[in-house]
Amino acid sequence: MAAISQGTGSKFFFEGESGRNTRGLLRLIILVTIAAAAVASRLFSVIRFESIIHEFDPWFNFRATKYLVNNGFYNFWDWFDDRTWHPLGRVTGGTLYPGLMVTSGIIYHVLRLLSMPIDIRNICVLLAPAFSGLTAFATYLLTSEMTTSPSAGLLAAAFMGITPGYISRSVAGSYDNEAIAIFLLVFTFYLWIKAVKEGSIMWAGFCALFYGYMVSAWGGYVFITNLLPLHAFVLICMGRFSPRLYVSYTTWYALGTLASMQVPFVGFLPVRSSDHMAALGVFGLLQLVGFTEWVRTQLPSKQFQTLLRGLVLVVFAAAFGFLVLLTVSGTIAPWSGRFYSLWDTAYAKVHIPIIASVSEHQPTAWPAFFFDLNMLIWLFPAGVYMCFRTLKDEHVFIVIYSVLASYFAGVMVRLMLTLTPIVCVAAAMALSNILDIFLVAEQPVEGAQPQANGNPRANGPTTATEKLASAIPDTLRSTKTPVVGIYSYLSKSAMTGAFTAYLLLFVLHCTWVTSNAYSSPSVVLASRLPDGSQHIIDDYREAYYWLRQNTHQTAKVMSWWDYGYQIGGMADRPTLVDNNTWNNTHIATVGKAMSSREEVSYPIMRQHEVDYVLIVFGGLLGYSGDDINKFLWMVRIAEGIWPDEVKERDFFTARGEYRVDEEATPTMKNSLMYKMSYYNYNALFPAGQAQDRVRGAKLPAQGPELSTLEEAFTSENWIIRIYKVKDLDNLGRSHQEAGAFEKGNKRKKSGKRRGARVLRVD
Amino acid sequence: MRIPGILAAALLPLTALAAKKSTGDRFNDYHSKQVSTLASIKIDDVSYGEMTKAPRDYAVAVLLTALDARFGCALCHEFQPEWELLAKSWTKGDKKGESRLVYATLDFADGKQTFQSVGKRTLSSPVLLVFQPTVGPNAKPDGAPNRFDFVTGTDKAEPIHAWISRHLPDSPHPPLVRPINYVKYAVTTTAVLGGVTFLSVAWPYLLPVIQNRNLWAAISLITILLFTSGHMFNHIRKVPYVAGDGKGGLSYFASGFQNQFGLETQIVAAMYGILAFATISLALKVPRMTDPRAQQIAVFVWGGIILGMYSFLLSVFRIKNGGYPFFLPPF
Amino acid sequence: MRLIQWASLGLISLVAADSNLTLESRNILPSTFKPPQHFQNVNLVRNINLEKNYVRETVNVVIENVGKEAQSEYFLPFEPGTIARIGGLEARDKKDPEKGGFVAEVAVTDEQSSTQFYKITLPTPLQPKGQLTLSISYWTLASLNPLPAQIGQTDKQYVLYTFSAYAPSAYLTQKQKTKLKLPTTDVPDAVTLPKSLNTEGKEDPQKQGTSFTYGPYSEIEAGALQEVSVRYEFTKPLTHSKLLERDVEVSHWGGNVAFEERHWLTNRAASLKNHFSRVAYQQSAYYNPPMAALKELRFPLAIGSEDPYFIDDIGNVSTSRFRTNMREANLELKPRYPVFGGWNYSFRVGWNGDLSGYVRRLKTGSDGFVLKVPFLDGPKQVEGIEYERVVTRVILPEGAINVHFETTIPLISNTTSLHRTFMDTLGRTTLELTAINVVDELRDRELVVMYDYPFSARFRKPLTIFGGILLVFVVSWVVGNLDVSIGSKVKAA
Repeated sequence: MAAISQGTGSKFFFEGESGRNTRGLLRLIILVTIAAAAVASRLFSVIRFESIIHEFDPWFNFRATKYLVNNGFYNFWDWFDDRTWHPLGRVTGGTLYPGLMVTSGIIYHVLRLLSMPIDIRNICVLLAPAFSGLTAFATYLLTSEMTTSPSAGLLAAAFMGITPGYISRSVAGSYDNEAIAIFLLVFTFYLWIKAVKEGSIMWAGFCALFYGYMVSAWGGYVFITNLLPLHAFVLICMGRFSPRLYVSYTTWYALGTLASMQVPFVGFLPVRSSDHMAALGVFGLLQLVGFTEWVRTQLPSKQFQTLLRGLVLVVFAAAFGFLVLLTVSGTIAPWSGRFYSLWDTAYAKVHIPIIASVSEHQPTAWPAFFFDLNMLIWLFPAGVYMCFRTLKDEHVFIVIYSVLASYFAGVMVRLMLTLTPIVCVAAAMALSNILDIFLVAEQPVEGAQPQANGNPRANGPTTATEKLASAIPDTLRSTKTPVVGIYSYLSKSAMTGAFTAYLLLFVLHCTWVTSNAYSSPSVVLASRLPDGSQHIIDDYREAYYWLRQNTHQTAKVMSWWDYGYQIGGMADRPTLVDNNTWNNTHIATVGKAMSSREEVSYPIMRQHEVDYVLIVFGGLLGYSGDDINKFLWMVRIAEGIWPDEVKERDFFTARGEYRVDEEATPTMKNSLMYKMSYYNYNALFPAGQAQDRVRGAKLPAQGPELSTLEEAFTSENWIIRIYKVKDLDNLGRSHQEAGAFEKGNKRKKSGKRRGARVLRVD
Repeated sequence: MRIPGILAAALLPLTALAAKKSTGDRFNDYHSKQVSTLASIKIDDVSYGEMTKAPRDYAVAVLLTALDARFGCALCHEFQPEWELLAKSWTKGDKKGESRLVYATLDFADGKQTFQSVGKRTLSSPVLLVFQPTVGPNAKPDGAPNRFDFVTGTDKAEPIHAWISRHLPDSPHPPLVRPINYVKYAVTTTAVLGGVTFLSVAWPYLLPVIQNRNLWAAISLITILLFTSGHMFNHIRKVPYVAGDGKGGLSYFASGFQNQFGLETQIVAAMYGILAFATISLALKVPRMTDPRAQQIAVFVWGGIILGMYSFLLSVFRIKNGGYPFFLPPF
Repeated sequence: MRLIQWASLGLISLVAADSNLTLESRNILPSTFKPPQHFQNVNLVRNINLEKNYVRETVNVVIENVGKEAQSEYFLPFEPGTIARIGGLEARDKKDPEKGGFVAEVAVTDEQSSTQFYKITLPTPLQPKGQLTLSISYWTLASLNPLPAQIGQTDKQYVLYTFSAYAPSAYLTQKQKTKLKLPTTDVPDAVTLPKSLNTEGKEDPQKQGTSFTYGPYSEIEAGALQEVSVRYEFTKPLTHSKLLERDVEVSHWGGNVAFEERHWLTNRAASLKNHFSRVAYQQSAYYNPPMAALKELRFPLAIGSEDPYFIDDIGNVSTSRFRTNMREANLELKPRYPVFGGWNYSFRVGWNGDLSGYVRRLKTGSDGFVLKVPFLDGPKQVEGIEYERVVTRVILPEGAINVHFETTIPLISNTTSLHRTFMDTLGRTTLELTAINVVDELRDRELVVMYDYPFSARFRKPLTIFGGILLVFVVSWVVGNLDVSIGSKVKAA
């Protein structure tokens, strides 16, 4: 192999050592450039807006990182956070994947050491782009393991650097686990391939190490945990068991499992949950097979070997049955909900509405694929096909990975992330193959001797297939005859030109997608003024900062769970529920409070010591991601717990429509969410003209009345509305009566009472 | 019948016994009927009124459904057997009718007024009503019947059983027993055995096929194309295969980024496939051609195909995503 | 002890602590201290200016030495509660102002006694029978209180100012009067005093337009007080800065002076009777009535200031405008939300200035430099802003030595320390100055810092950077070798 690629390489470079150096240097330069491009293309949001943490989850990671940096690792490790999930609190240290925070914490301290006091926020914001550069490099390594073509790796790196499918989760500011996890994923796979190829314990050890890191960084590690065993299993089934496989797999499994168990959040799952059982089973199987192989070498008796084989099968079956038994008996936890919902696609919708409610857990329509991968999506199958040409162990890996990942990506938008690396690798292999052929300068003479790498027989097919070479062609039909090369310069130049054009188009596409779709912080909204200039809508931060400055440190804020992390991060106030949806009942409680009548909600809020209620309302601006549009999920989740008190049906009109205008159902009109959204809203418009610009509905002339809440703050564009929960009435009246009385005769009393309330905020 | 009814309504405590006597037979004949048929009672508007009119010392569970094919209520059809199963096992469960619950089925065909009165206009899903007893030991003050809408798409008997039990707390709840489907077991076992024997016999001939790369390549490519063209989306969201546009013609591509048709995905998959195949040919077949002319032609044919397909793909994508600025000639 | 008591006197404990510390440093008098009656005030005229949201008092008094021998210590009494809110007290000779201010310092008695004193030391002792015209001026912070304490969002605001009709003095006062300057004629109530007290038999206060007069009164003995109060319309924010931290960072290599100010503002105005209503606010935005809410802050910066920023704890605030041209450089900030009474707003602003505009090389000696910057910028509002505490840090370049400073602002502390930041090896020399009870009229007071910046020190930074770059090269070289080995691995594949 070495001889060959050097042969192809030396067409362009000098021979020998100096040639290798030159190529090495060139590769380095190209890779650095790619990394730079990868980073640069992720900075749109920083340039357009500012260096700010995006969206929702990143705000929690950011908060946790700050905690880590301020209080040190051990305090972080056993951090009980009483400012979320009031009144329950959350054992944050034990229920998160610390990899991300620890990484940025280390970077922070190292920079400190170099007397570079960089703000932790900037480190968090720029972590994802930085790691995307590393990911490109890892992809280069992985691809270089797959093919002999020197250009494939670089192509793959370039693809990985700028593919929207990966950028979507790694723009500057999206400080999420995926930011580092994808790098770890790819690098772990690279190490695994390396280990399987060389059968060296060292590489397997590294693989286990990075697997451990991956486990500490992202829940998606289960993908690796199941993919590597599957690879090993398929190899065994293909009769490709080898000491290399044995050594690498056993090393990886033993060390990797131990490493993964060091993370508190994972703990004993690797031996207790079904998600990890495949790895264990294959581990056992490998022992058996290894044993038989050894015995076979000892005694050559034919019957005995068949006996052995049968024995192995029996033992394996028995072990499998035993596992199933354990699972049924409950010793081993069954598949976790999120993971299970990947297989039984209807499961989540019925049983775990919270998971179903998240937009990124929806299935993927084809435009999303094309949007994220553009031309790679059709180069991808070609590349996979080419893996079948010389079907070595690593190529088997690619095939398995491709099929599995494309299934997952099809089921869940979010898992597009795991598909992207393999797509880049495969597409790069396909494209590099074409370029290698069409970029060769000299013309083949008639009847040139075949190039070795084109000839499949040169790298021997497996023994099993060889036997049947006569019966059925053992290799791909397209690669029977030897490679000759391209004769006419015209076709060479034409094809080269065409594919260059496609590549340029790809770059344009990626840039466009990144700048248009994936670079909005979603905390700050940008709108275009008539004159085309950009106008920034900053309501979220306006309201959060108001909370932060003008409410008491321990004022509890109730909002839908989407905003929990942001309130914790920006407003620094305790919340009832947040995006870490560990307690369905608690969330359902909030859902119930939002979707019930005031009389029902008020006691709930009192019980949970709620001081303020925060909702998002897009009606004035036409901002569609607001709470009224999410309302049905609140209802559903609440209905899951209180099927008799909250009924989704009641929020639909008789014709089964979901409306907010005159025809809205009474339940809808009386729900707290509806009242809070439209309270005082029609005062903005001439009488009877109130318009909801999201639903495009004309609102009832008579606006809703609130008796147990009072408007505390409303942001400039009405996106965020904050309400204060009234105290119990001083005279022991119900708030309705009190309100009615106030209307009757306004006296100073009201002022006094409110004054008392203001003072009371303890 | 009516007089004692009014009486009972007027002076309940006194005439509770009378009421019981007068209505008792009503329940009994329903029950006996049910026990004999072991199925829910088919009713129409008249018998509906008869069955649910107060006072009654028994509970009624009425399923309003639309089984006629005209109404195309898939859920109704899915749920009907489950409903019957529920009714059957419940009736079996208490032959003596201690739970005092009557299962009835009202098809839209015979109960239009009732549907109106219940305020159910859409026939897309069945509705289950449970009328509590108005007199007798576990009587509830007669309000509106408890209503269960099949909006969440539950088409299994268990949740319904649980729901009914929850609404009739203090009466016995016969368990739901699904009949064991012996035939199915038999079929599966024979199938498995047959399969095993077949395999053992045909192994030598199968082995080469199984180990054939082309086969596996084909399989994996097809699966990949299937998934990357959004098949799972169709499967989960149950999207229509193809829909007509307003003007009586067919629209092959659903408008909007987030939805698609069955046919659409197949077209896309085909495009991907063709593009991939052209690439493969360019990469593997063409350089193996020994005749320069033929090769030249092949290169341009495949190249042309790629160009055309890709540009068509882009144009299709522009349909889905309005603001998409890029395109390739010719499309 | 005293700290706690003053805190209980409605004072931010932070400031209490510090002003307290500074008082500790001055001379403590016994609690039974009575200023010796060497002086008497022959004639005293006090002007109280109420046009801003802090009170400016100017006392012109002719003092006479009635003692036997020459005296040089004149005492000025204050309530213990107020003395911690007195700022910028200056005393000078009315006859020749250019002679400069006399030394005026707080002289504390411990907390049992009801009065505290400022001790004014005359440069030349006043001979017996000698007379001198003192002109004493000072500010009193946080002395206007809204009444009623809660108003509607668009209502007028009335504030109450309570003071003594007799100028507080430690000595017998022959003749005195007090003039009030009000911002408006809308004065619903002002405490009236009976004719009997007044020398000219008029009923006080006597009103002419926006100016009220109490007095003249004669023969008021030492320590006599006559509490009166006025309540007038003042529909403007009572902007009160709890703390202002100001950094001035000098960089000789960058040829740049970087300013940053961190403000912790609160609005002492009347709080909202009901909660904030966006509808009312947006409707009022059309005809923009006077409001007790703080809507905008204007920073007139030095001409030539550039690239300003306006951020707070959660990032950039997009609602700021910077209009700059040859004649002006105005930074106009809008808080994220209108700051109503009782609300807080904390933020930071920063900008850059050209070094040549602020630093000049001293004639004497090649390494001597002099830096001249305003002690504080900060917003310039019509209604004024009061600062409880201002901490100004001047960060000089690394290796600057023998630092001296001059300023006319009364300081309570100054320290010199090292501040370690980007690429520093030993840290930058930092001068930290603290002043309390400052008002925005002092914006234009200069701070002059002289320091030596040796030639050798000037080359520390480039050497560090050179070292860093060298390191980068070494690393990249190592990486290069690594990469070759990877390349060969690729071939091994």
